[in-house]
Amino acid sequence: MGDHCEQTMRKLSGYIDRELSDAEVRSVKAHLDDCPPCDKVFDFQAEMKRLVRRECCTDDAPARLRDWVRQLATEKAPARDQEA
Amino acid sequence: MDSDFSLFERHVDALYRSALRLTRKPEDAEDLVQETYLRAYRYRNRFKPGTNEKAWLFTIMTNVFRNRLRQRPAPTEPLDQPGTDFSIYDQLRREGMPVHLMSPEEIIVERGFGDEVKHALEELPLPMRMVVVLVDVEDFSYKEVASILGIKIGTVMSRLHRGRQALQKKLWEYSGRPKARPVAVGAH
Ligand SMILES: [Zn+2]
Repeated sequence: MGDHCEQTMRKLSGYIDRELSDAEVRSVKAHLDDCPPCDKVFDFQAEMKRLVRRECCTDDAPARLRDWVRQLATEKAPARDQEA
Repeated sequence: MDSDFSLFERHVDALYRSALRLTRKPEDAEDLVQETYLRAYRYRNRFKPGTNEKAWLFTIMTNVFRNRLRQRPAPTEPLDQPGTDFSIYDQLRREGMPVHLMSPEEIIVERGFGDEVKHALEELPLPMRMVVVLVDVEDFSYKEVASILGIKIGTVMSRLHRGRQALQKKLWEYSGRPKARPVAVGAH
């Protein structure tokens, strides 16, 4: 694994999370375009991130919670039924 | 002022799904979100208009959650586990699978790694779980997560790194494969 590969792998999370500076983005992108093995790792890790998001976004708030929050905004919120 | 509260309403799904990952139980998640909104409502004058209201709500929720953990004795979870580098991709490659010829979807779906993501996430130690949820599910920046949790950006990054590896390790084990052996960092 060359120096460029190592540098790129170190910055991969930042790249996937869009946390790098423009200059860093350019250098990572240039390496990925050039280096299929690193590009495959990138593809995989980016898909893992999407997978986590996709799987976890399926749980919507129950309707009664949504209604409760809406009522709160109108200051007619019922007292919470029990204290935890 | 009160009409502004509708700004907060729209985040109920995001708060609930994250609460569910933190508490693991629907009734506890619902209760946590209620408490979060009660506080947000009580302290709504402290919110600075024009700042990120979603981050503000998540700050309240993680504080409420951490206070509850302190009150209720819960099984202690290690705060920071030493991490051994692990990725499903590298592990399969080491085992001789032609991962470079496969799409990520082929690897994840066809090899059965995608089925228990929620379960795997909920098994992570809380400090890592919080960071992974906030970054990967809720799409907060590292800086926002640092502010929400009151930790340094470097800590966000290291917990995220170790959390993602630990998540892949769990998915590896849930797919019925033997426990992965730790591998020297940088082996390629
Ligand atoms: Zn490379």
